[in-house]
Amino acid sequence: MVDVMVRAPSVDESTILDRAKALARFKLGNAFFHVLTFSAAITVLVLLSGVILSLAIGSIPAIQTFGFGFLVTEVWNPVTDKYGAAAAIYGTVVTSLIAVVIAIPVGVGIAIFLSELCPQPLRQPIGIAIELLAGIPSIIYGIWGLFIFAPLLQQYVEPGVIAFFGPIPGLNRVFEGPPYGIGVFTAGFILAIMVLPFISSISRDVFATVPPVLKESAYGLGFTTREVVGHVVIPYTRTGIIGGVMLALGRALGETMAVTFVIGNAHRVSTSILAPGTTISATIANEFTEAVGTLYTSALVELGLILFVITFIVLAIARYMLMRIEQKGAH
Amino acid sequence: MTLYDARRRKNMIYVGLCYAASAFGLVWLAWILGALIFKGSAGLVPATFTQMTPPPGSAGGLFNAITGSLIMSIAAVALGTPIGILAGTYLAEYGSGSKLAFVVRFINDILLSAPSIVIGLFVYQIVVVPMGHFSALAGMLALAIIVIPVVVRTTEDMLRLVPNQLREASSALGLPKSMVIQKIAYKAARAGLTTGVLLAIARISGETAPLLFTALNNQFFATNINAPMASLPVVIFQFALSPYADWQRLAWTGALIITMTVLALSIVARVLGRQRTKS
Amino acid sequence: MIPTNRAGVDLPAKILVKDLNFFYGDSVALKTVNMSVYANSVTAIIGPSGCGKSTLLRVLNRMYDLYPKQRAEGEVLLDGENILAPGQDVNLLRARVGMVFQKPTPFPMSIYENIAFGVKLYNKVSKSELDGRVEKALRGAALWNEVKDKLHASGLSLSGGQQQRLCIARTVAIEPEVILFDEPCSALDPISTAKVEELIDELREKYTIAIVTHSMQQAARVSSYTAFMYLGELLEFDETTKMFTSPDKKQTQDYITGRFG
Repeated sequence: MVDVMVRAPSVDESTILDRAKALARFKLGNAFFHVLTFSAAITVLVLLSGVILSLAIGSIPAIQTFGFGFLVTEVWNPVTDKYGAAAAIYGTVVTSLIAVVIAIPVGVGIAIFLSELCPQPLRQPIGIAIELLAGIPSIIYGIWGLFIFAPLLQQYVEPGVIAFFGPIPGLNRVFEGPPYGIGVFTAGFILAIMVLPFISSISRDVFATVPPVLKESAYGLGFTTREVVGHVVIPYTRTGIIGGVMLALGRALGETMAVTFVIGNAHRVSTSILAPGTTISATIANEFTEAVGTLYTSALVELGLILFVITFIVLAIARYMLMRIEQKGAH
Repeated sequence: MTLYDARRRKNMIYVGLCYAASAFGLVWLAWILGALIFKGSAGLVPATFTQMTPPPGSAGGLFNAITGSLIMSIAAVALGTPIGILAGTYLAEYGSGSKLAFVVRFINDILLSAPSIVIGLFVYQIVVVPMGHFSALAGMLALAIIVIPVVVRTTEDMLRLVPNQLREASSALGLPKSMVIQKIAYKAARAGLTTGVLLAIARISGETAPLLFTALNNQFFATNINAPMASLPVVIFQFALSPYADWQRLAWTGALIITMTVLALSIVARVLGRQRTKS
Repeated sequence: MIPTNRAGVDLPAKILVKDLNFFYGDSVALKTVNMSVYANSVTAIIGPSGCGKSTLLRVLNRMYDLYPKQRAEGEVLLDGENILAPGQDVNLLRARVGMVFQKPTPFPMSIYENIAFGVKLYNKVSKSELDGRVEKALRGAALWNEVKDKLHASGLSLSGGQQQRLCIARTVAIEPEVILFDEPCSALDPISTAKVEELIDELREKYTIAIVTHSMQQAARVSSYTAFMYLGELLEFDETTKMFTSPDKKQTQDYITGRFG
C-alpha cells in the first residue's frame, strides 16, 4: 500500500500565482526595512565614536602643550594661557562622592520603606513623587539651590558646623569657614537629592526580585524587618544595589547646571568642603562661550574628554552590574 | 533588657530611619515645588507669554524663549524619534541575541546617562565650528542626540512586551517580517512607544547645557534655524545669574513653566504606561 | 506504520513528512519522523508533554523559521513539493498552510479589521467585496451571528472562545488548503471547546486539518487519523478508531489507558 501524492494542488494555479505576485510587492520593502533598522542601530555606535573622536581631536592642542601635568596642575589662568584640570577634577569627584555618600542610605532607606513598610495605597503615589525628583531639570535645582537653599545654609547651618568642628583637629580643616553658603558641600548635597531617586528606584526593582518565599520564611522565624532586610534582602540584591549606586554616581559626575549655580566657580583645590570650588562641567558651562584662543578652548575640550572618560567607565561598570542582576532574575 | 527587647529597639530605630529617609526625599520635592510656585506664579500672566525677553530694567516676557524651546524641541523629537524607534526595533526584532545588539544596547545605555554638556561640545565641534556661527540647527541636533537613547531604550523594552504569539499569528498568515513589525507589533506597543516619546520630550525640555554653545541665545524672536535662537533654559540661566530683579523674576517664572511642563509630561507618560500593563 | 484504507483505495496524502529531524540548537527534538496528513480529513497528533508534537506541527508551516537556533532536516512534501527546500517562499507557504494557536491572539484591531487584514494582504478588493469576504469567513467560523452587530468593536472585547473562533475565521479568510491547530482548546472552557470541535468537523470538508492535542478524548472525537508521538519519535500512526481500540505498540496502549501522561 503506497501513499499517493496529489501532484496537482487542490487550489487554482492562478490563485497561487496571484498570491505570489501579491507577496512580491513586499520583497523590496522588507529588505529595505531591515537595512533601515540596522543602520539606525549603527547610528548609536557612530554617535558614541563621534563624541569620543571629536573630543580627542579638540583636545590635541592642550594635550600637546600640557601633557599629563594637566591632570594635576591647579593653575587655571586664561590670562597667561596656563591651564590645569586638578581643581575641576577634584571638585567633580568630591561633589559626586558627597552626593553618593548621602544618597545611598537615603535611597536604600526609601526603597526599603516602599517595599516593606509603606501602607499599600500610599506606595504608588510616594514612589512616583520620589521619581519626580529625578525628573526636575538640573537648572531648577540650580536656581533653587542658589537663591533659597544656599542662603539658608549660610545663615543657619554653616556657622554652626564651622563652630562645632573648630576645636577638632583634622576635621576642622574639612569644615573650615567662612560660611559662603555655596561651595563644594552645597553642590554635593543638591546632587544627592537629584540622584537619590536612581538608587531608590533600582533598589526597589531589585528588591522585587527577591523570591517572596525567602522573605516569608525569615519573617516566619520571627526576624524583625531590619534583620530580614539586612540578612536576606540586601545580600541577595547586593550587586543590583551597587549597580544603582554606580548609575547614580555616573549621573552626579556629569551634572552641570545644578552644580554651576552653587559651587562658587573657584579654580581651587581646598581641603574644606565648605569652600567654593569648581567641577569639570561647571567650568565648561561657565567659560566655553567666553574662551578665546585655541589653547583655552582646547583645554576646556580636554576637560570634557576627561569627564566623558570617567563617566563612561563608571556607567559601564554600572551597566555590567545591573546586567548580572537581570540575568540572575531571569533564572 | 532581654535580647528580644534589644532587637526590637534596633528594629524600631531602623524602621524610623527608613520613614525619615522617605520624608527627607519628599520634603525636598515639596520645598522645590513650593518655591517655584511662590516665586514664579506671579509671573504667569499673559504678558509673559506674549512679550519678548527684555533688556535689563524693563518689563517683558519669555515669548521668544518659549517659542525657541518649542521649535528646537519639536525638531529634535522629529529627528531623533524615527532613528530611536528604528534602532530599538532592530534590537528587539532583528538583532535580538546578536553580539552587535549587545554592544549597541550597552553603548546606548551609556549615552543615555552621559553628561549632556559633552554632547554640546560634540555638536559644537561638528556643526558650529564648520558653520562658523551658533545656530538653532546645532541646538536641535544636540537635543536630538539626547532624544535618541531614550527612545531606543523604551522602544526596545515596549516591543519586547509584545507577546511573541502575536507575531507568530501574523507570520502564520504569510505576512513578511517588516509588516509583522510595522502593522502588528508597533500597533500593539503603541501606548508604550508614545510613552517613550513623551519621556524624551520631558527630558529635553529642561536641558540647558547642550544649548549653551550650540544655539546660544537670542534677545529677539527668531525662527531662522541658521542663527542663534533663544530657549527657556538658557534664558533662565542668563537671567538668574544676573543682578537684575526683574530678570530674576522672569527666571523663576520660566523655571515654573518648565517644571510644570516636565511634570505634566511625566504624569501623562505614566498613565499611558500603566494602561499598557493593564491590557 | 503505513495506514490502510478499508476499501483498499490509495489515499491522497496532502502532506508527506519524510525522515524529518529537528534541532533546537544542538539538542534533537524530532527523530526520523515519517508521517502523512491526508487531504480533507482531520489528523490528530497526541503524546505526553515534550514529545515533540507541537514541534512537528510547526515544521509544517515553517513557523520555526522565525527562530535562528531552530533547524529542520529531511523533507516535507506539500502536494509533492518539498517545503523545506532552500528556495521556498515561506510566506507563500503560510498562505496555503494556516495555523491556529493555543492562546487566542486577536490582532489589536477591530473584529472586521482582523479578518480584512489577511484578505487585503493577498487581494485587491473593493469595499463591498471585502465586506463579503469578512462575512463569509465569520460565517465559516460560526461567529457571524454573534458579532455581526459589532464588527468595529475591538477583537479583544470578545470572550476567549469567541476570540479563538475569530482566529479561525482569520485563517480561513485567506483560503488556505491546510489548517494546523496547535492545542486550540486548551485555553477554553468546555462550551467553547465543543463549539470549536464542531467547527473543526465542518472545516474538514473543505480543508486538510492537523491538530495537536493533549486530550485523547478530543482526538477520539474529531480526528480520523491519529499519530502518537513519544520523546521526539513517531511511534504509531493509524486510523483513530483502530488506534484507540487496538493499538499496535505497548507505549501507545500505556498512554491511551493513562498509564503515563
